[in-house]
Amino acid sequence: MTAGDIATAVLLPLGAAFAFTGTVGLVRFPTLLGRVHAATKPDTVALVLVLAGAAFQLPDPRVAAWLGLAALFQFLTAPVLAQTFGRVAYSRGEISTGHLITDELADAVERSREDDDGDGG
Amino acid sequence: MSAPSDAGAEPGRPVRRQLLGRLVMAVWLTLMWVILWGDASPGTVVAGAGVAAGCYYAARLPHLPVRLRFRPLRIVLLIGHIAVDMLVSSVRVAFHALWRPAQMRGAIVAVPMRTDSDLLLVMVSAGLSLITGSLVIELNREEGVLYVHGTPVSSERSVRHLRRQVRRTEERFVRAFGTQRDIDEFEREEQELLRADEENSEEETR
Repeated sequence: MTAGDIATAVLLPLGAAFAFTGTVGLVRFPTLLGRVHAATKPDTVALVLVLAGAAFQLPDPRVAAWLGLAALFQFLTAPVLAQTFGRVAYSRGEISTGHLITDELADAVERSREDDDGDGG
Repeated sequence: MSAPSDAGAEPGRPVRRQLLGRLVMAVWLTLMWVILWGDASPGTVVAGAGVAAGCYYAARLPHLPVRLRFRPLRIVLLIGHIAVDMLVSSVRVAFHALWRPAQMRGAIVAVPMRTDSDLLLVMVSAGLSLITGSLVIELNREEGVLYVHGTPVSSERSVRHLRRQVRRTEERFVRAFGTQRDIDEFEREEQELLRADEENSEEETR
């Protein structure tokens, strides 16, 4: 077994473990935002670990550029997905306030509503 | 490459500079093409450049004035910090996924941003959303306030920690990619915020 094999043997299961916890979180977290956190981010870490693990087994190092691209696009797209979910969920009121310590966005919305009322009256 | 420049012609900007701005993107697209084909022979490069120019012509992509400066050392540090933050918070969320997930709490905090650059704000919010513990919900562009959902957050102390983490991430992005003007503005705003904080705490103690 070479050093590359050992790296693969460590990185691949580690990545799989992160993907597993992300999925478990997706099922078990009670709130929508918690699920978004679990669904998007541990999976990004998992993908990077799996790709890094796979990179050690490549016959041709040039192919590693493709793996790099896969990771890059994951980094570019995951935040977009997470933010879109978060925004839509919040504006539709799909937020369980019982699970929030503070909600300063609600305060800000409240304030701007009061301002609007003041303008109207 | 010359056709789109009339579509996005901006007054007061020399054509040469506009072309230069597009050139970076065209080179990037060509690079993608070469990587995906897997060989860097002259034919592939020429074909890639042709496709990039064709994309520009067909889509009439607007010219984005990119006012960024790249500081390699700071960027490496930034990537390192984000990688560490990602790992640490992924482990924390993983722990909560396995141990009493129903008791995990979150918080939405308002964090006033000190930079006013559109591009930097986009980068900061994307960077924050990459870190497992935080998720940008809303951006108030006029006042420059970011609304971030963080998890797991269980007490006032971790709310403060979340806020500090958001500010630190912003500072790292500004210092890695901001122009000198962005950094100056950032530092000025920072002083103002510090002063406002001090005044607030004085009022509270009274």
